[in-house]
Amino acid sequence: MSKAEAALAPADEAPKAGELPRGGSWWRPAGLAMPGAQGGRGVAGRRQSAWSRLPTWFRRLIVFVVLVAFWQFYVTVKHVNHLVFSSPSAAMTAVIDGWRNGQIAHATATTLEVLVIGMAIGLVVGLLFTVAATVTTVGKDFVMMMTAMINPLPSIAILPLAIIWFGLNSKALIFVIALAVVWPMAINMSTGFTTVNPTLLMAARNLGLHGSRMIRDVLIPAALPYTMSGIKVSWAFGWRTVIAAELVFGTAGGSGGLGYYINNSQYFLQIPNVFAGLITIAVIGIAVETMLNMVEKRTVVRWGMQRSA
Amino acid sequence: MEAGDVPGERDAEGPGGTMAARGSERGATERGGAEPTGAMESVLLSVDGARICYRLRKQVVTAVESATFSMDRHERLMLIGPSGCGKSTLLKAVAGFIPLAGGRITFDGHEDLTPGPDRAVVFQEFDQLFPWRTVLENVAYPLRVVGRERSEARAIAERFLEMTGLTQAADRHPHELSGGMKQRVAIARALALEPAMLLMDEPFGSLDAITRARLQRELKAIADRTRVSILFVTHSILEAMTLGDRVVVLGSPPSRVLDIVDVRGLGGPGDPRYVETQAHLHELLGATDEDLSGVEG
Ligand SMILES: Nc1ncnc2c1ncn2[C@@H]1O[C@H](COP(=O)(O)OP(=O)(O)OP(=O)(O)O)[C@@H](O)[C@H]1O
Ligand SMILES: [Mg+2]
Repeated sequence: MSKAEAALAPADEAPKAGELPRGGSWWRPAGLAMPGAQGGRGVAGRRQSAWSRLPTWFRRLIVFVVLVAFWQFYVTVKHVNHLVFSSPSAAMTAVIDGWRNGQIAHATATTLEVLVIGMAIGLVVGLLFTVAATVTTVGKDFVMMMTAMINPLPSIAILPLAIIWFGLNSKALIFVIALAVVWPMAINMSTGFTTVNPTLLMAARNLGLHGSRMIRDVLIPAALPYTMSGIKVSWAFGWRTVIAAELVFGTAGGSGGLGYYINNSQYFLQIPNVFAGLITIAVIGIAVETMLNMVEKRTVVRWGMQRSA
Repeated sequence: MEAGDVPGERDAEGPGGTMAARGSERGATERGGAEPTGAMESVLLSVDGARICYRLRKQVVTAVESATFSMDRHERLMLIGPSGCGKSTLLKAVAGFIPLAGGRITFDGHEDLTPGPDRAVVFQEFDQLFPWRTVLENVAYPLRVVGRERSEARAIAERFLEMTGLTQAADRHPHELSGGMKQRVAIARALALEPAMLLMDEPFGSLDAITRARLQRELKAIADRTRVSILFVTHSILEAMTLGDRVVVLGSPPSRVLDIVDVRGLGGPGDPRYVETQAHLHELLGATDEDLSGVEG
């Protein structure tokens, strides 16, 4: 607990920074009239347009529909070559067909399986590094050094080496994904562990908490805002890495994930299927990010440990 | 030391009048039991030339030059002094958070103090509650840590929340409370542990006069009942005289103990001894009449 003691010594009595009321933001306190509020007068007293008074989801839906309509219109009117570009309707048909005949479902399952295994390994190793960095100075130096060196390197660049080490199979992919996930996890979580509010630590130690129970009941929840942002960054890295890696694998004739599906469709000039693959990737990305944001809303935001997701 | 060893009421009765009334007979038996152990045993805490320093970047800052006082079992000792004189520092040292640079602190016969629930602390800072737990859980969780059953912990927590007027806020999270409410949760949490000694760092500092007076009364009732020893930091001479048995006056930093004033058995403001003691405390703290006009009623 030497670290905890070190953290205790400079007990800063200043209140925690920036606790703004709910519903506001740093440039627009909650008390002020919001766009869309009664009377339709904004912060500057300017009249709000009818557009900005619509609900957010509705505005976004309209933008989306207009974009898709434009896309369809362009493809139909210009008679774009179907072997080069696909219309949204064709893409949607391909998505539906792909899910019906199980091709996309299978590809998605393959990709997610590899991703989940890779990320799980990355998270666990990241946690171990975090513990090492929190407990020992050597561990901290190691994590800092490795993060500084390896993090800027897109982990997909390791794939050629990974293929040599593990062969042309999903182990190489898992390795690359784990590598993409370990460092953002380790750096975020160790920051979270070392910046736990010293008064909170004292309150916990006052109860006689120590060891594993201290870690489980105090340090982990206290570091959750950092852990969550670590997970979000890891997801973003992992997701991009796995698709990229599968594209590379695809040319080499391996696995069968979404990247492979896209690559394969391109090979057989099934352009709507390429679009279907892209749409699936985007939708999964959005779904997972939404889910992570929801988890954040229910935990760290609800607990006032982070202002908004 | 396990908090389970600490004597105190364990039944699920309300904290109000009945217990305070029953406390007198209970206190009597306890006092009777403690007497044969002799004078040495009655000292709970002794602070002996304690010197406490902080390392501030390259410098070493002495917060407490030398503090010497002792505290009997069941005593309520008030710690008063100007801002920055090291009251919180001294309290944290007694709680076992800050090592001494010199001198000794002995609690219940032990010298190397580590933090423990036998000396429950109410910190001065507002951010001492667990943000991810509700108000109720913040009070109940420590009871689980010291080995209470879930349902029992919950019942005790509810009782102390009621006492501190927080029943309405039981399901809220700390960041949804006012500063004073947070302090009341911390007070409830410390009281619920029924420690051998309560360490309270200006616990009522952020409360309005009425809530403050009510909580002072409640604290007194609880202390009368459980006979818990209290080391209490305050800025207010009036509060020190209302709640305390004795008042330790610290001087400006680097601080030493200026005087230890007995405030037991003083009558109200009509009592000449009361007025005299108050004037003495004012003088020790270096307050002029001008400083005090309009302060402390
Ligand atoms: N973590 C710290 N690092 C360095 N110096 C500190 C630290 N905490 C307190 N000090 C210094 O120690 C001295 C005593 O601080 P302390 O918090 O004990 O004062 P206090 O008597 O509780 O004041 P207040 O009544 O304002 O709460 C102050 O001069 C302060 O600057
Ligand atoms: Mg203080």
